[in-house]
Amino acid sequence: MLFLKKYMLPRVLQFLTVVFVGITLVFIVIRMLPVDPVKQIINTFAMFGATIDPASTELLIQTLREMFGLEGTIFEQYFAFWGRLFRGDFGPSLFLFPVPVIDLIVTALPWTAGLLLLTTFISWLFGTIMGGLAGYFHKSLWAKFLDRVVMVLRPIPFYVFALVMLIIFAYLIPLFPLGGGIAVGTPITFSWRFIVDVIRHAALPALSMGILGSAVWFQTMRLIVQSVTSEDFVVYAKAGGLKKNTIAFKYVIRNAILPQITALGLSLGQIFSGALITEIVFAYPGIGSLLNAAIINGDYNVIMAITTLSIVTISTLILIVDLIYPLFDPQVRFK
Amino acid sequence: MQKRMVGVLVVVALLIGIAAGGLFFLPRDQEPIVEEPVGEEPVGEEPVVQEPEEEEPVAVGEDALPGGVPRNETLIAGILSGKIMTPDDFNVWTVTWKHVDRGIQQLMLEPLWIVDYVTGEVINALASEPPIYNEDFTQMTVKMRDEMFWSDGVQITADDLVFTIETIMQNPALGGHGWSNAFVERVYAQDPLTVVFELKEPNTRFHSHFVDRWGATRPMPKHIFEQAEDPALFPFNPPVSSGPFTLHSHDPGGYWVLWERREDWERTPTGELFGMPAPRYVLFRHHGPPEMRVLSQGRHMLDMADMSMEALRASLMGNPYTRTFRDEFPWTVNVDPAITGIMFNTARPPFDQKEVRWALTLAIDIVDFIAIGFDGAAVMGAMHLPPTPVYQEWYYEPMEDWKKEFTIQVGGEQFHPYDPEAPMRMAEHSRLRGFAVPEDPQEIRDMFGIGWWKHAPDVATTLLEEQGFEKIRGRWHLPDGTPWVLTLLTGVNPIGIGERNAFAAAQQWERFGIDVNIMASPMEGTMVDMGEFEVNEGWPAIEPWGGHHDLYRTFNTWHSQFMRPIGETNPGHDGRWSDPRMDAIVERLEVIGWDDPETFELGMEGLKVAIEEMPSIPTVAFPGMIVWDEHYWTNFPGAENPYTQPYHHWPNFKYMLPFLEPTGR
Repeated sequence: MLFLKKYMLPRVLQFLTVVFVGITLVFIVIRMLPVDPVKQIINTFAMFGATIDPASTELLIQTLREMFGLEGTIFEQYFAFWGRLFRGDFGPSLFLFPVPVIDLIVTALPWTAGLLLLTTFISWLFGTIMGGLAGYFHKSLWAKFLDRVVMVLRPIPFYVFALVMLIIFAYLIPLFPLGGGIAVGTPITFSWRFIVDVIRHAALPALSMGILGSAVWFQTMRLIVQSVTSEDFVVYAKAGGLKKNTIAFKYVIRNAILPQITALGLSLGQIFSGALITEIVFAYPGIGSLLNAAIINGDYNVIMAITTLSIVTISTLILIVDLIYPLFDPQVRFK
Repeated sequence: MQKRMVGVLVVVALLIGIAAGGLFFLPRDQEPIVEEPVGEEPVGEEPVVQEPEEEEPVAVGEDALPGGVPRNETLIAGILSGKIMTPDDFNVWTVTWKHVDRGIQQLMLEPLWIVDYVTGEVINALASEPPIYNEDFTQMTVKMRDEMFWSDGVQITADDLVFTIETIMQNPALGGHGWSNAFVERVYAQDPLTVVFELKEPNTRFHSHFVDRWGATRPMPKHIFEQAEDPALFPFNPPVSSGPFTLHSHDPGGYWVLWERREDWERTPTGELFGMPAPRYVLFRHHGPPEMRVLSQGRHMLDMADMSMEALRASLMGNPYTRTFRDEFPWTVNVDPAITGIMFNTARPPFDQKEVRWALTLAIDIVDFIAIGFDGAAVMGAMHLPPTPVYQEWYYEPMEDWKKEFTIQVGGEQFHPYDPEAPMRMAEHSRLRGFAVPEDPQEIRDMFGIGWWKHAPDVATTLLEEQGFEKIRGRWHLPDGTPWVLTLLTGVNPIGIGERNAFAAAQQWERFGIDVNIMASPMEGTMVDMGEFEVNEGWPAIEPWGGHHDLYRTFNTWHSQFMRPIGETNPGHDGRWSDPRMDAIVERLEVIGWDDPETFELGMEGLKVAIEEMPSIPTVAFPGMIVWDEHYWTNFPGAENPYTQPYHHWPNFKYMLPFLEPTGR
């Protein structure tokens, strides 16, 4: 009961506050962008040379404003947004009107979620384990070698790294497809062939993201471990004659992994931001390009939907991490 | 023990890493996963397919085509507008953007009329003849082509067109709702192939809403849409076609759409007018950034691509089968019906003064400008009209003497700003760079245009000084004594044509002594529309029809009735310039038909007013950078054989397909 009152309840309240404030701020900020979705639509047609005579343009602007619900005050729009949100409706996309926003997200999100969940988990696990070991056994030859490799990989811009991977493994040695999410003409069925095809197309993007992602986790974990190793309790454990493995896993890595777990939770929330560069380089489907297009075109409803989902997901993950922290950290449990 | 433990952990971690990239071990050479192609053998003449000359390398790892879809019967083209955000939705009658260039306008739909800016023709597509107006232009009659069918076998009739207009008029979420309600009193079918529009007031260019120029109101299939509860929300999937291809399959991720030639292709305007499209399949695919397009062409998996200049050159160097619109330097398309350049916000000082605008024009060395911005590969255009061959014939050449005689007042004297020798200087510059350029002046003008404005910094200096500007220690100051910082708004695509214009202009004006602040913003469109800019790289003049000499489409946007104060949306040209003389020309054009011979005369008068006032600086024709891979297909409409427009994203693309020839590979 005390746990609920002193630990859980404040965190739940904090969660609700963050969600409310976050969504409200995004609602206000995106309306301060110097971009008008109505004008972006007209500009898109005009850019390609389609005929919209000036007299029709004015009529079109008026029609679009009425349909998009941009006629009222910002307060009216804000309350209308919350009303729709509680009904689970994000409204129609403005740029792609009248397609419902949720349809666009449902189309794009599975690709990004599949790719990022896989690469984030695997790179976290790989980087954290290797970083932890390399940090503790930093004097060994393999740890020094791995450290040098990571030091070379880590600063490479992802765009360059991805392009190099693409040229090597899809063009010079054509092991993987040059791009796309599935092969041309592939029907979507729950079959082994379809799954293999999806994995083949995801392989190179995943490998590129995984390698660079692992390098980041590796370096962070290695530094944390080295820092923890110099703590008094570790020195005391060594002086006490405890086995090296016991010190490494029960004293050092167990303590060092806590911030990594928090960071993992935050990373998973970024799924909603998508992996824009990956999507561009590998012509891979996903939510990043949807969000990018929405921002450029002032598609308020799409931006609000994606950021709302992102805020709720990240906040929820942080809440979950907070709630399970006592399992890992005796200090929290004790307090 | 400790070492063993560490070793085991390292191996486990490595295994996880390998699993992440485990995909090396997945099957790679398997047959592509495909649906059987729909339909029987095509009706009509089969494409001539020769025996393969050589063993075709298998595209291991690459997306092969579906089973039953041979590569040598498939044309692969890029999607200009990029990834499709609504891949499952083929309803392009809605008011908003649905990526019509994924094959919908090029293969699936036929309009009533369509312009070809290369041949200078307006082609009757679903209409059997040009629009017929009554004397006072209050009624327009459309005669439909007989024996045309939707791809599901239903005949295309007047009812489809009437239904389309009536549906659009009733539904504000459909494109054309505004103009149709503003102009149409009544629309009805006089007989199964005749549609009559009764208009609310005289309108000499009502038909222009149905003329396809990268967009138009095209007839929708009544028998399909009348079943839709809400025509705006109806996804039209699977679609039925009035064009020669039907949907085969598409990517739910939005990267490709595969189209298959209709068995009854001859029952479409394309088939009746031009014959059977040579490719049995057309794949529209977004390949990603230009680097990916180069790689894909290197693997012969992209036949028609839009490139940047750098990618164009890379593709030419890396693949012996690639070619460009012009086989040799300067490579780029010289028939694009768009003039690019620099636009001033004439509602803002000092750009409200024509002397300042002319000074900035004369501060530009067009040869240097084209070299910096376009690597020397663009056609200069001195007028507010693209210098395509047909416009050169209709306007540029007939006005050449006027341009030579034209003067501006500088320091109390008359100055002739036109430089007919600019193309020769461009040719010399190109020779110095090592390109083969002919000596014949006519050939040079075909390559680089027929003239531009002089590079006269001394004249520009006088013009500015007359307006109170002062040059102090090499930098220009405004009449109020403050340093002149010119803000040039542009987009964020460093390889975009607009951005290249902006960077080249900035360099020219910096050299002239003006501090130029480049402001790159993805919100450029809105900012320009609201007048929140000084100088921009938008269209210096709205694109004309391209395939018709009528310039009402360009001039009308300069009419004073469409000019709004800064901060308000401007329905007219974004430069916010107008002139009573231009108003009079527009108003005269509005009462005569677009085929009236007087339109030529009015067109020239309007161009003269634009040149005198120079509200924007036309620089170069849009240099389309297309690269064709001729490994599987040849006879593209290049400069030596321009039988139709050359782009794969224009709606006339379908009229190119009957002329393509398989190479037999």
